Amino acid sequence: MAWEHRFSVAVSGIGMSAITRSAEKPLAALALEAVQRAVADSGLQMDDINGLATYAELPAAGHTIIDGLSIVSVNAMMTMLKLPNLRWHLQNETVNIGGAVQTATNALIAGVCDYVVVWRALHNPTGIYTAPPASHVGGPQQFTAPYGFSGIVQSLAAEYARYLERHGQSREKMAALAIAQRKHANLTPEAYFHDTPLTRDDYLNSRMIAYPFCLFDCDIPVQGAMAMVLTRTDRARELRPKPALLAGYGQRIKVEVGGRIASVADYMAAGSSSSNLTWERAGLGPQDVDVAQIYDGFAGSTIYGIESYGFAKEGEALDFVQDGNVEIGGGLPINTFGGSLSAGRLHGIWHIAEAAMQVSGRAGAHQVPGAKIGFAGASGANINATTFVFADEPY
Amino acid sequence: MTMSNWSAVKRPIPVPNDLTRAFWDGARRGELLFQRCHTCGNRQHPPAPTCTNCVSTDLGFEPVEGRGTIYAYTVMFHSGDRRFADAIPYASVIVELDDAPGALIAGNLLGVPYTEAHIGRRVRVVFEPLNDEITLPQFELDQ
Repeated sequence: MAWEHRFSVAVSGIGMSAITRSAEKPLAALALEAVQRAVADSGLQMDDINGLATYAELPAAGHTIIDGLSIVSVNAMMTMLKLPNLRWHLQNETVNIGGAVQTATNALIAGVCDYVVVWRALHNPTGIYTAPPASHVGGPQQFTAPYGFSGIVQSLAAEYARYLERHGQSREKMAALAIAQRKHANLTPEAYFHDTPLTRDDYLNSRMIAYPFCLFDCDIPVQGAMAMVLTRTDRARELRPKPALLAGYGQRIKVEVGGRIASVADYMAAGSSSSNLTWERAGLGPQDVDVAQIYDGFAGSTIYGIESYGFAKEGEALDFVQDGNVEIGGGLPINTFGGSLSAGRLHGIWHIAEAAMQVSGRAGAHQVPGAKIGFAGASGANINATTFVFADEPY
Repeated sequence: MTMSNWSAVKRPIPVPNDLTRAFWDGARRGELLFQRCHTCGNRQHPPAPTCTNCVSTDLGFEPVEGRGTIYAYTVMFHSGDRRFADAIPYASVIVELDDAPGALIAGNLLGVPYTEAHIGRRVRVVFEPLNDEITLPQFELDQ
């Protein structure tokens, strides 16, 4: 049975700040700019906004958290906007920005607010992104940090090495995905690598970070913010942009026993649980999707998503991405804005926004012609899977 | 030269807590102790407050043999953590022991070139003292 609230909430306006590598302005100023642009894109006035939601985490360990500089909390946004009609606000702690969008959807369905702005602001700390563990480590890190498992890249690299050897795959095949996404970034003016091509030789000759992940398997940390207006579909139809109708969503975090060390065990569990909910609620399946945005903090996450969301069989995603199949014009275009690898690490909100823009026909030079059904997996499919289906019209 | 040079590495030092003290006490004596559930017999690691199989709270620590296979691994090339810079490239492994299926324990692959790390290779535990209090379980190929 499809979800009774299918198509009742929509994404309307979308806005973003400039995407840079360093903090030329305080992060709060970038978040404010993104929110103002999203509201203006909708054709609303700021005073119309009566709901606010964000996932604020700085996903980089070991840095001092300063609200307004390294994160932008709901409190910080409320302080800047002084909304006279605010009725609902949220800052969630699990399932990343996808959880904020999903909970905002619930609030709109419940009728406790009418126009919600969801934003995500990402800080790029000076120096090393994930600071090394301290000289003495308690908690789950006491079983990993002494061995040089000092950041998330090594845990995810170990998971990917297991994937490759279990499935008899080769890491060189990932070049096709990285190149496809870079081609998409080259069509996306806002993307960090808009002006920089990537060749197969560039990929194959790039330095290794944590085998099997090379430099181009890792996303590009940036400073920037993105925001979107959500409202009920009847109201969205009265606004300026063509709305993207939310057909269904799902969420599931992975059960992790004792921290990251055990998260190598089953890369399919979270993504398949989450997407099964989404397919059931939306009343369709992966074969119906025209364009997919699949989170790529590391490229392996996209491979796991392609399989666990049902676009390819287990062990076959690296074959699925070959021969232009995931490029615009191919069988299933993926990460059509460039993804985190090539557009910048906005931690999932860009994936959701791009899915919405594609079905609204507003994606410009990176538009997939005729896209009606858009999928987004907005966080690592193997860890923290939030999934969405958007449609241009009810079906 | 593919042998990792560990001689100058300053490893982060584990701080035992109420859940993990017995593990580290065992390692100092040269014993690898995993939690065992007295209700269902499940062996688990890292230590947890409840049995990860049957949710019993009746758990104790018992020795395991320390032989198993490489379940996952990575070879680290990035020197972001300067304390490990001299060892790069080095293999960090995650091992599943024969007598504790499903439980996973991390280590480095010592004594052989890092290129020897592969899924399914047989390994056995060895012990590396860090100081008077803490001894790390580590792994070498079981040949």
